[in-house]
Order: sequence, then structure tokens, then C-alpha cells
Amino acid sequence: MIHAEHLTRRFGDRTAVDRLSLDVRAGEIVGLLGPNGAGKTTTIRMLAGTIAPSSGSLRVGGYDPSTEPERVHEIVGLLTESPGFYERLTAEENLAYFARFYTGIDVPGAVERSLDRMGLADRRRDRVGTFSGGMKQRLALARALLHGPRILFLDEPTAGLDPEAARDLRGSIVELSAERRTVLLCTHNLTEAEGICERIAVLRTRLIALGTPASLRDERFRPAVRVRLAGDAAGFAVALRDLPFVQAVDAEPGDRGSLSVRLDDIDRDRPRLVARLVELGGEILEVAEERKTLEDVYLDLMKEGS
Amino acid sequence: MTARRIVNVLRKEWLLMTRSPSNLLFVAVIPLMLVGQALLLSWILPRFLTVGVPDSSTLAAGLGDVARFRVLLLDQFRFFVLTIPAMVANVFATLSIVEEKITRTLEPLLATPVRTWELLLGKILSGALPALAVAWASTGLFVFLAALLGWGPLLRWVVGPAWYLSVFLLTPAISILSFVLGAIGSSRASDAKGAQNLAVLIVLPLFALIGVQVTGLVRFTPLLTLVLSLGIVALDAVALHLAVRLFARESILIRWR
Repeated sequence: MIHAEHLTRRFGDRTAVDRLSLDVRAGEIVGLLGPNGAGKTTTIRMLAGTIAPSSGSLRVGGYDPSTEPERVHEIVGLLTESPGFYERLTAEENLAYFARFYTGIDVPGAVERSLDRMGLADRRRDRVGTFSGGMKQRLALARALLHGPRILFLDEPTAGLDPEAARDLRGSIVELSAERRTVLLCTHNLTEAEGICERIAVLRTRLIALGTPASLRDERFRPAVRVRLAGDAAGFAVALRDLPFVQAVDAEPGDRGSLSVRLDDIDRDRPRLVARLVELGGEILEVAEERKTLEDVYLDLMKEGS
Repeated sequence: MTARRIVNVLRKEWLLMTRSPSNLLFVAVIPLMLVGQALLLSWILPRFLTVGVPDSSTLAAGLGDVARFRVLLLDQFRFFVLTIPAMVANVFATLSIVEEKITRTLEPLLATPVRTWELLLGKILSGALPALAVAWASTGLFVFLAALLGWGPLLRWVVGPAWYLSVFLLTPAISILSFVLGAIGSSRASDAKGAQNLAVLIVLPLFALIGVQVTGLVRFTPLLTLVLSLGIVALDAVALHLAVRLFARESILIRWR
């Protein structure tokens, strides 16, 4: 659905996006992560056809946004970083205005459906200036969906929302994927990305990682268990390091210290590890799988990059 | 589709205009002030006439000095009325794009299939048409009040081919030009104040036009009015083309943060 090859955008001497190659399948939700200035918004703008790439090739829904921007605009929906509405107009008037630019849509029907879907039907005749931030963001998503786009570009959709509003909006995004809409989600919220994205692309001007959250985790971190012991845990670390199935051991000193033990195969090796600790006289209080999050992966990637 | 999109922009702009009473007040007050001032001058100034009006075969030959002077003053209105669209444009056109930048509506708008020229033409017409309507209404009111003040017989020297050309060709052409220039200023400016500063330039050529007319340096005969009007119509087309070229979508999105 989206095919980008060596996509590059320069602003004068500065390169905002450097040779980005990315393929996104129909119905997939892909998260675009990266620090500020990493080129996420520039990428979304190039894909949505609002700015042109400096070099590289790009197809969105089969069209080239540089040469056929209007065709691309007909099939994509864009949720910009700031919602951007005419505050003196009502929600309905705002949506109808944007809807009338598209070909072949029933404007009143599209407006009604979008408002219903985002739970704003009862506020349709209220001026947008009276809306809360969360409502404006939902209205912005309603606007992006007006023409039934096959592809959605969402730039920081939950930024600045309270947890409840953010959760509702995330629910709406997941529903979009269930309808086979392709979603490219730009976010700083790693938990959100991990929760709803099938694949993650980490950008730092260049694409530095791409994969499912699980594959990114597995690539960077071997599976590990955390063992909490009564007494000093550090004393067991040396003995454990000699075991053939143990890759590494990190000890946390202290009276009730714990050990982080990286294993070859967590399911196979965990009982063997526990047995060996008991043999060594360890009093085990707890053994738990150590789950690395996308945040750990992201921070590790950023640390590596810098 | 193009017409639908232009009408869509136009309709939205009008809707926003009606939601801001201060804008409507401005549009209503300016022409009333202009008509009142023109009538007042036409009434008062001839009373202080101590020197004769320069003899001219085209200027109400056969009338007395006071009446001829009054005809001269009444005839100036068709030039003063040109300042209405320029003044209205100074307020509305200059804000047309800047306001979209401020409210952050420009990016979602540019992500729709609307073309730059459709957007700009819609914005230009949304201001130029009401400004033109106000200019015409002011002209009608001026003629009506002049007749009411007993100057009806003088109007036959005023309302003639040059007057009609001026009202129905020159005024619309100037109206569109004012709004195109205002929109150019608006799309290039970084804030509302900057846009309005740029738009002051719209009014200057009009004052020059009024100046050459009032001082008698040039007498705008029907032919000259026609030539001037057609020149401005051509300028409208060039300016609109320029406005589209100067409307740098990318720069607006990237630099406006």
C-alpha cells in the first residue's frame, strides 16, 4: 500500500529524512518512532503529498504523491499534529467544509457517519471553540475519515490528551485497522505504539530499526529471568556464570538482592537454573520472566545511535 | 468540481464573516463614511468658490461656476469609491491565509484535493464580491442622496459612459486586484501585522489615481477609463497567476511553526 525507496528530504544543508526505505501492507498499523527532529512529520508529509521528496521514489496506494498529489489526497486521510479547526464554525460546518473538497461523496451522510463514529453526534451544532482538546482531536480523526480513506497518516494523535481520551482514541485507531485501513502512526508514546502497532519503524533521520515489537525486543535483548533471593544475591553470580545454558548474569547487591540471568531458552533453562540455585543453598523468593519493553528497545537504540 | 470547491471556500469565508460582527460593522461603516464625506464636500466646497472653474468643453458646459464645481466634485466619487475594496481587502484579504496559518487549518486543508488556485480564487472572490457589492451599494446611495439634496439635474453630467465604465468595469477590476494583492501579502507574511503592512501598498496606487484625477493632470474620458479598466483586468490575471506561483505550500507548512 505504501512503498518508499531511498526517500530523502533536504531543507537547505540539513537532511531531514535520509534514504528511507519502507513498505507498508494494506491493513497494517505501523508506528513511526523517533526523537524530536528525527524526520517523522516530514516523512508523513511526503507520504501524504503535502511536501515533495528531494530524491527517492514513492508510491502511496499506487500513486506518486509528487506527480499525482490530488489522487493521493483522495485516498489518504491526514491527522495533523495540531487539530486545526475554524473555531467559530460548528463541528458539522467544519467537517462539511473539508468533505466538499472530495469527489463523489455524499457530504451530509459522510459528516453524520464521521461524527457518530467519534461519539460527537450530540455536539454537532456546537462551535468547535467550545470543545476540549480531546474532543478536537476526535473531531480531527473524524475529519481524516470523512472520505473513507484507505490509508491514514496520524501524527501524534494522542499528544496532550488525558488518559481516558487517549485510550478512546487508541480504540478508534485499532478499529480502523480491523476495517483493513492502513495506518501510519507517528508517536512519542512507546506504550501506545507497542499496544497498537503491528510493526515499528524507528527513525533518526535514517531508518535505524524496523520490525514487530517482539522481533525488535528479541533482536536486542536475549530472554532473561529475574531471581529474587533472601540474602546477598551477588555471591551466586559467579557460580551461575559457569553454567553452559547461562549467557550472562547481572547481580543487584543488597540484603535482598536479585539476579538478572540471561538464558539460551527461557522455558527449557528456567527449571535448571532454579535447581542449581537450590543446590547452591539459595533461598529463592521469586522467579519471574524479565520482560523488556519497547521503551527499553527504543532507549537502547537511541543510546547506540548517540 | 472546481466550481464546487471555489464556492465551498467562498461559502466558508462568508460564514466566518457573519460570525464576526465587528467585521460586518467595518464593512458597513466604511462606505457610509465615504458617501457622507463625498456629499458633505460636494455641498460645502462650492460655497467657498472665489475663483472660476477652469473652462473645459467636457465639464458641464453651460452651467454656472458653483454648479460646474459641484459636478466636478460629484464626479470624483467614482474614484473615491475605488478605495472601498482596497480598504476592505486590507482587513480581510490580508488575513485570509495568515489566519489559516494561525489556526493551523492550512495543513489539513492542503491535504485535501483542493488546488492552490481554487483555494486562492475562492478566498479572493469571498472578499472581492462583498466589497464590490458594498461599492455598488455606496454608489447607488450616493446618487440617491445627491438627487435627494436637489442635485438631480447635475447628475446627468456625472452619470454617463465614463461613470458606468468606472462603476461596472474599473471597480470590479480594482476590487479583484486588491484582494489578489492582499492574498499574496497574506501568503508571504509571517504574521497578521506583517500582512497588513504589506497590504498598505494596495492603497497607494489608488491614491495616485485619485491625485492625477483631482489635480486635473489626466481627465478620465470614457475611452481612457475603458483602457485603464482593461489594463487592470489584465493585471488581475497576471496577479492571480503570480499569487498561485508565490503560494509556496511547502514553505508555509515547514516554516510556520
